[in-house]
Amino acid sequence: MTFLQIVEGPLFYIAAAVFVIAALWRLIGIIRIGHKADIAPPKGSATGGFIAGNLRHFVPRKSFAKRTWIHLVAGYSFHLGLFVLLLFAAPHIDFARDRIFGFDWPAMPRWGFIVAAQFAFAGLIMLWVRRFADPVMRLISDWDDHIGSWLTFLVMLTGCLALQESHDALKAIHMLFVDIWLIYFPFSRLMHALTFFLSRGYTGATYGRKGMTL
Amino acid sequence: MTATSQKAVDKFLEVIDSDIAAFAESCVHCGECAEACHFYLATKDPKYTPTYKLFPLVKAYKRHKSPISGIAKMLGFAPAEVTEEELREWEPLVYDSCTMCGRCTLVCPMAIDIAGTIRKMREGYVAADIVPDGLVSAAANAERTGSPMGVTLKALSAQIKHQEEATGIKIEIDKKGADYMALLSSMEIMGFPEIIGAYAKLFKQAGVSWTISSKAFEATNVGVQIGSGKMAKMLVERIVDAAEELEVKHVISPECGHAYGALRWAGPNMVGKEFSFKVVHIIELLDQLRREGKIPVGEKDTRRMTLHDPCQIIRRGGLLQEPRSLLNDSCSDFVEMEGAGIANLCCGGGGGVSANPRAEELQMAAFSKKLDQINDVGGVEAVVVPCANCRTVFEDGLDEFEADFEVIGLGELVADTLATK
Amino acid sequence: MMLPKLTAALFFIALMLVPVLMSSDAAYAQSVRPPANAVNQPGQGPERIGTSNTLGEDSQSDYWRALRHGRSGISTSGPGGGLLIQSQGEDWRLIRKQYIIKYSGSVLIGVLALLVLFYFIRGRIRLKGGRSGKTISRFSLSHRTAHWFMASVFILLAVSGLIILLGRTVLAPLIGKTAHSIIASAAMQGHNLFGPLFIIALVWLYYMFVPGNFFKMVDLKWLLKGGGLIGGHASAGHYNFGEKVWFWAVAFGGLLISITGIILEFPWLAANLQLLQVSTIVHAVVAIGLIAFALGHIYIGTLGMEGALDSMTTGDVDINWAIEHHDLWYEEVTGKPVQADKSADNEAPGHAQVYTQSRS
Repeated sequence: MTFLQIVEGPLFYIAAAVFVIAALWRLIGIIRIGHKADIAPPKGSATGGFIAGNLRHFVPRKSFAKRTWIHLVAGYSFHLGLFVLLLFAAPHIDFARDRIFGFDWPAMPRWGFIVAAQFAFAGLIMLWVRRFADPVMRLISDWDDHIGSWLTFLVMLTGCLALQESHDALKAIHMLFVDIWLIYFPFSRLMHALTFFLSRGYTGATYGRKGMTL
Repeated sequence: MTATSQKAVDKFLEVIDSDIAAFAESCVHCGECAEACHFYLATKDPKYTPTYKLFPLVKAYKRHKSPISGIAKMLGFAPAEVTEEELREWEPLVYDSCTMCGRCTLVCPMAIDIAGTIRKMREGYVAADIVPDGLVSAAANAERTGSPMGVTLKALSAQIKHQEEATGIKIEIDKKGADYMALLSSMEIMGFPEIIGAYAKLFKQAGVSWTISSKAFEATNVGVQIGSGKMAKMLVERIVDAAEELEVKHVISPECGHAYGALRWAGPNMVGKEFSFKVVHIIELLDQLRREGKIPVGEKDTRRMTLHDPCQIIRRGGLLQEPRSLLNDSCSDFVEMEGAGIANLCCGGGGGVSANPRAEELQMAAFSKKLDQINDVGGVEAVVVPCANCRTVFEDGLDEFEADFEVIGLGELVADTLATK
Repeated sequence: MMLPKLTAALFFIALMLVPVLMSSDAAYAQSVRPPANAVNQPGQGPERIGTSNTLGEDSQSDYWRALRHGRSGISTSGPGGGLLIQSQGEDWRLIRKQYIIKYSGSVLIGVLALLVLFYFIRGRIRLKGGRSGKTISRFSLSHRTAHWFMASVFILLAVSGLIILLGRTVLAPLIGKTAHSIIASAAMQGHNLFGPLFIIALVWLYYMFVPGNFFKMVDLKWLLKGGGLIGGHASAGHYNFGEKVWFWAVAFGGLLISITGIILEFPWLAANLQLLQVSTIVHAVVAIGLIAFALGHIYIGTLGMEGALDSMTTGDVDINWAIEHHDLWYEEVTGKPVQADKSADNEAPGHAQVYTQSRS
């Protein structure tokens, strides 16, 4: 088996399995810790609050937007760019069709892929610079934050380097980093991608019962 | 691992539920919470970053209670055990530099309820007996007399008598079957007793029967502030027992911050049963009575007025509109400050901070941000502060910074602007 | 604050106008046409290129001349109508090979060598008064973020760019052609993707750092004193002469690199092949220049000068550093006039001189 076949084949399946199983374990584990039922008479709906809280925190709040604009711009640039390129770049769709789902969906034109990647890189580099330059982030950041950002950057960078789609070696290096990333993900802070809806939801539910959306 | 730190960690793990677990698993260390915290804004010291204050709790969670803590310990990436040294290092962060105001939750992309989590974290600190002196004496007072300031029934009776004389209205104690049982905070009883007379006027006008219980007149819940679930429960139970004995329909939570949340939202859960009465905040009640036309406005207050939003009543209590409606009715020159409403700045002294002499400097620094906010409005003659603790913080702060506007309570204002028949 | 905003805006507009101006048709294809008294005019009779030869057929040399210089009526895809063989192309190839590729590596190595030499002769420029332990704020978080964002993008582009330029001559012999082709492909893709990010970084950097970077008289004095190497202390404001030169080199060099880079990434915007060729030359030359300058910048900011790196990491600098290297800025910011101790001009090794501030 060539190196490319290994990283796209058995290693990928192992990494994907670890990713799915560990992420589910962690998510379900959090929910199972459980909390006491709230018997105080509610003023509003907890379920409604769960959803409202999730949606509300996507929108920056005016009072703080000026202070935190760099985080907002860089954060959205990175996340939106990453999702778009992950889900709608032709090589990714091909991979998903061949290795995961068996079906595909419309891809972006190539320039869309590149522009999305540029947004994603700009955002990620900006956030990474902040993590070093901002005294607050410097104090609260730990090894998990740094490994997470570096690993994600390397996945994206190796992907970018393979854009010509001519060399198996470059494609394989990208896939290798993807596999490592998939294994690292569920044991790290990258899990926020899956836990954030719980965090927003629980707070939203608590305030929903009080008749508010925070 | 000392015996002290073990007690704290055990308690931490006990109070961590799925909500707190989700919070601990979602924080990405972005640091935006710092930009919402008045303590950070006033000092620019990164250690006041709200998420940083939770570190020992999160460490304990990740080592012991997280779903992956087993594999983390096995592979060596679980955090180290929380040490007593760390707990003591964090004590001023947990007590002096957090008023549990909840502003950080607004800006957090994950909506992490840091304030609520600090409340739980303090339970660990109480279990380990690592608590600031000021709060210890307040707690001792509360246990003895029910009041954090040691206010006894005797002192209250004296104040009630004065108010009866001032208003000419009889105030009934322990009246069975009354519509409303009013609670008061010690700060009000000792510092702003006019509120008692104001209640008398308002309820007489509205034609509503009310009473004060001799066994449970204190609203302030020190247990919530210090972080003792046990004490919080005991103080609530005192109120519940008295209310049930008097068979009142409602209990009024006064203009006090944590009292409302402790009784209205946490109360039934602490006591373990639903109440046979409704809990209503005095502002809620006044607004309702005004909408029903029972306490119409007379001559409006013409002073240039602005409103401070006490955190536990507006942001964390759910009463955003009520104070504003009342002020719009009662005042002719009511002006909102910039950032008013749900995102308003904390006064800097809630959540036990004002009872903690060690935190005085920090409290003043935080209050200066509030003062800037008021000064930016321009020409303010009076600030309405519907929380007795905030009022004390304001009065101390105005003294310190030599500012000269009046600080008034909302209930008094409504009573003063009542239409005379 | 208006002037920097204005210049940033003009800068950006200049950048955007270039591709627009490029699209106007060059007169290249019109530069050759048959003389007025030619027997065969274009469009008359059978299509004939120029005058006929002795046999009455198309002249071979005219034919090739037409191919090399362009002729209206022939359409091809790509820039420059009717131009199939471009003589200047050979000139371009030779310039690139014999000058740019040949010497750029040496330029960079030369600069490195000079820096090493400088370090061994002059050593690390230490703080004469030692560290006072007290600091003042020099660069805000926004400044530092803008700088490091640019630095990250610049390094990625520099490395990939050097691989593109020098890979075939330097790398391929070392690692073999297969490995080199992989690395070259990677470098090209990376360079093309990060290029536009450089433009964003440049505009932001310009906007953040242009206040205070305009040249003043004091900079000439600084230059004449060799920045303090000759004749002791040289006064400087927020930025000294060297820093200002670096800023404007990045600004103008960056502008040129950005414009040529856009042309090279979107070659259909170029009206003709010559513009593309000029762009590669300008792009490479300016890039090598900036990389060389950057090496000096990195040296002086890290190893070369004690206390300098703090300004870009924490944002705060030691007061003695501020007084020794940017005294006018220090006075402006703190309001405290600085009295440099004159005898400090002749410092002996191991003899620390402390700059004193006048008490006011």
